[in-house]
Formats: sequence, structure tokens, C-alpha cells
Amino acid sequence: MIQYASIFLFVLGLYGLFINKNVIKLIVSLNVMEIGLFIFIISIGYVGDNAIAPIISNTQDLGLIYVDPLPQALVLTAIVIGVGTTALALAIAKSIYNTYQTFDLDEMEESA
Amino acid sequence: MNVVFLIAIPLLAAFISILIKKYASYLLVAVGLFNIAVLIFSKNGIVFIGGFDTTISANLLGITLLLDTYTRIALWVVNVLILVIAVLNIKTYRDYGSILLLAMAGLNGLLLTNDLFNLFVFLEISGIAAYLLSTSNKKPVSTFRYLLYGAIGSSLFLFGVVILYSMYGTLNMVVMIREISASNNYTEVILPFILMFIGLGVEAKLLPFNAWVKGVLGNSNVLSGPMIAGVYMAAMSFVLGRLVTNLFVFEGTLLTVVTLILVLGIVVGDLMAFSSSKVREILLFSSIAQSSIIILLFVNGLTIWAVYLIVANALSKTVMFLVINKATAETENDEVDSLKGLFVHNNIVGLTFTLAALSVMGLPLLVGFVIKLNYLTALAGAGQITLIAVILLASLIEGIYLVRLLVKLWYKGEKDLRVEYHFSFKMVFIAIALSLLVFGNYSTPLNELDNSIDTVSEVVNNG
Repeated sequence: MIQYASIFLFVLGLYGLFINKNVIKLIVSLNVMEIGLFIFIISIGYVGDNAIAPIISNTQDLGLIYVDPLPQALVLTAIVIGVGTTALALAIAKSIYNTYQTFDLDEMEESA
Repeated sequence: MNVVFLIAIPLLAAFISILIKKYASYLLVAVGLFNIAVLIFSKNGIVFIGGFDTTISANLLGITLLLDTYTRIALWVVNVLILVIAVLNIKTYRDYGSILLLAMAGLNGLLLTNDLFNLFVFLEISGIAAYLLSTSNKKPVSTFRYLLYGAIGSSLFLFGVVILYSMYGTLNMVVMIREISASNNYTEVILPFILMFIGLGVEAKLLPFNAWVKGVLGNSNVLSGPMIAGVYMAAMSFVLGRLVTNLFVFEGTLLTVVTLILVLGIVVGDLMAFSSSKVREILLFSSIAQSSIIILLFVNGLTIWAVYLIVANALSKTVMFLVINKATAETENDEVDSLKGLFVHNNIVGLTFTLAALSVMGLPLLVGFVIKLNYLTALAGAGQITLIAVILLASLIEGIYLVRLLVKLWYKGEKDLRVEYHFSFKMVFIAIALSLLVFGNYSTPLNELDNSIDTVSEVVNNG
């Protein structure tokens, strides 16, 4: 179920990237898409209700199983990269605003 | 020497260079020379990082780096070109030393890694460096579009990688290739392959994922032009080529669709270059067509000729973008007509540009001809007559627009155009033009290597 929700978020973000013309809204859409992807990554490590956190302890004798720790490590890295990209995107957005005094791509007359 | 230095040292130097901004460009040159020394003294093989099991079959955890002849050629191209571009721009773009170091670390990692998630990380590192390099164009909207396309591409790539991980429980490329061929169910992996192909296709400038290219390369300068059209294109083609050759399984309808996309890329790229009146646009559309040809060769299993084409193309495009971007920076106009007579007072530069252009066209006596002749012969041997017809048609269009461009650049226009090229620029142009000429006439060294330079399948089979 959570995987469908994450794919919905991903597609929603992608849709936002296609329809928006405002630089800030585009960055928000990019983040929504990335969050959908992060939830998807976490969801593949999920192994059921009886699973425990991947920390070595005495509970391993109780027959409990760990959730897959690798997707958690992956998502942590992906989040950091996502934050870096967002920061850079916002810096470029500021530069766009300083140049054109607007965030709307349609209002800019740049031969891009 | 351990090849991990090729990633670690530039990354460390990138951070240090922020503290000593004044000397960043000198640090970059020193690291570039160090990388070349590492390449000379390193040996082919697999490097296991983190002290995990040293047998590749059991290596489900930890990251491995793979250095074979294929990667070595790619690393030589990337590191030498970055060093050359850095030296040429050491005074003009002094502030970009840290970014070039970051690009160096990202691209070296991208070429060396054998781990798919690690590939995503390096894709993002090199991507961020490329966005920052494109800020030197002073066109923030184009840079923003580039960032958006790049971020969407890498997200799709990561989506594909994660789906593959959930199916096979590994991120190690070699182990994954083994698992995929053991499961023998290719229909399940079509979706992740498509997602990863699109993701890398954005950076490799493949049609229709390359809408960012016009804004970035169409406004490029002597730093961003050769870096993105030469170095980045070469590195991304090498990475995509490795995945196309070893990991992706294109069969049946999927193969037809991929081939169609690439053929469209060749034809549309050359047609757009033909119809353009701006020099930088002509060059960038020509790059799009060339990158589609390169991936088409990889799809058809012609690894060695695709590799040579990448190298020849990277060298030619570096010269062409440097010559044109230097001229457009001074004239502040990149219309072909405004650059009429550029070579009248720059005969040596004109000659080297002409040799690079003729090599891209594939004319005899130049390395482009040897490569084109060989891959067309190999395609004929494989019975791919339609592809040969498309490539020849594209070459014809390419020949027309490049000769038209050369004629205008050589013949004097209404104005007396004078552009000064520094001695160091001329030396680089001459060295590259000579190498294109030498290997065009003496092609024996090219025949010494074959498709076995890519050893991934060997590692998969033999461990």
C-alpha cells in the first residue's frame, strides 16, 4: 500500500514539474517527486509488522527479523544529495530573480 | 597505486581549495597531474573498499571499483581533457577551480564504480559540478532548466536501481548481471532498464531527453563548452555504453524502440544543425547526433569502435568549442555570418578547426574516417543495412552543414574580424589536430584492441 502512495507522490511531483512555470513551484515539485522516491526506497526494506530495527541486541534470539538496513542507508544518502540539489536550485532561483525580477519563466525573455 | 585516489584526492582537494581560493586553480593542475601519475602506475583489476569479502561473487556488501582497459581509456580522456581545459582557463575562470575538482572526482567515480547506487551518487556529484560550470554562461534560466532535467534524470535512474535492488537484493553490477541472466526473465527488468536508460540519456544528450542542451551549450564559453560537450559527453557515453553492453538487455520490441529513438536522435540532430544559423547551435546539434551514433554502436555490440568514436569526438568537439567560444566571447555574437572570415588572420587555428570538423564528418586521412569505415563494415557484417543507410544519410547532411560553416569561416566577410588566440590555445589545437591526423593515417594501434577491453562479462563469467 505504501508503495502505491510513494509512486503517487512521485508522479504528482513529475506532473508538477511539467505544468508549473514558477521557479519556486518547480523546486517544490522536484522535492515532492524526490520524497515519493525516498518513501519507495524505504518501503522496499520493510519486511512485515514483526520486524525490528536493524540494531544488534538480545532480541535476535526471540525469532524477530530485522528490516533491511541497506535501503535506509541509501535513502539517507539520497536525502543529503536531494538537499544539496535543492539548495543549489534555490541559489539559482535567487540569481534568476535578481536578473529578471520575477520567478515566472514565461515572463523572462531569455534565449534559453 | 590504488585507483581510489582518483576519486578521494580530487574530492579532498575540492574542499581544501575552498579554504585557499587564491591557489585553487594551481591545486587543480597539481591534482590533474597526480591523477595522470596514478593512471600510469595503477594496475587493472577490482578494488574492494571497506574490507569486505574479496571475492566478487560473495561481495554483496561494500563498494567495488573496476579498472580495465575500457575504464582506463575513459579515465585518460576525462583527466587529460580536464587538465588541458583547466590550464587554458587558469586566468580567465580562476574561481572555478573547486568546481573542476568536484567534476574530476565525480566523473572518475562514475567511470570506476561497480556499484549501481554509487553510480547514482557520482552522477549527482558530477551533475552538481556541471550545473555550477554552466553558471559561467551567465544564463541562470538555462542553468535552472539543466538542473531540473538532470535532477529528474537522476531520480529516474535511482528509481530503476532501487527496483532492481528489490528484485535481486544486490547493488553490485557484476553480481546483478549474474542474477539477471540466471533468472532468465527479461520482461520483469524492462521497466527498471527503461528508467535507468532515460536517466542516463538526459546527461548523455540523447533525444528526446536533451531539451537542456540548447540553453546550456548554445550560450557556452571556453570553460563550459568544452567541459560539457567534450568531457561530460565522453564520460556519460562511456558509462551508458558500459551499462548498455553488460547490464541492459534490449530484446524484441524494446530493442526496436531503443534503436528507433537513437536513429531519430541522429537524423533530427543533424537536421537541426543543418537548419541552424548559429555556430554554437550547429556544434551542439552535431554533438547530439554523434552521441546517438555512439550509443547505437554500443547497442549493436561494437564496443571498441564506439570507444574510439567517443575519444575522437571528445577531442574534435573540444577544439571546435574552444575556437568558436573564444571568437563569440570577443564578437558577442554567434551567428555564422558575424564570424565570416574568422580564419583569415588565424590560419593555424583555422587549419586545426578544419581538421577537427573533417574528422567529425569522417573524411579520409583523418581518424574519423578510419572509425566510420570500420563500424560501417561491422554493421554491414551484422546485416544492419537500414542503420548504415541512416548513418550515411546523416553523414551527408553533416558534411553539407560543416563544409558550409567552414567556407564561411575561411572567406572574408564585410568586416575585418580579428580574434586573438593565446599561444597555449594554439598548442592544444595543434596537438589534437595532429593526433587526429596521425591515427587517421597510421591506424595499426587502433586495430590492436578489440571488444574485450570491457572485462565486465569476463568477471561475471569467471569471478
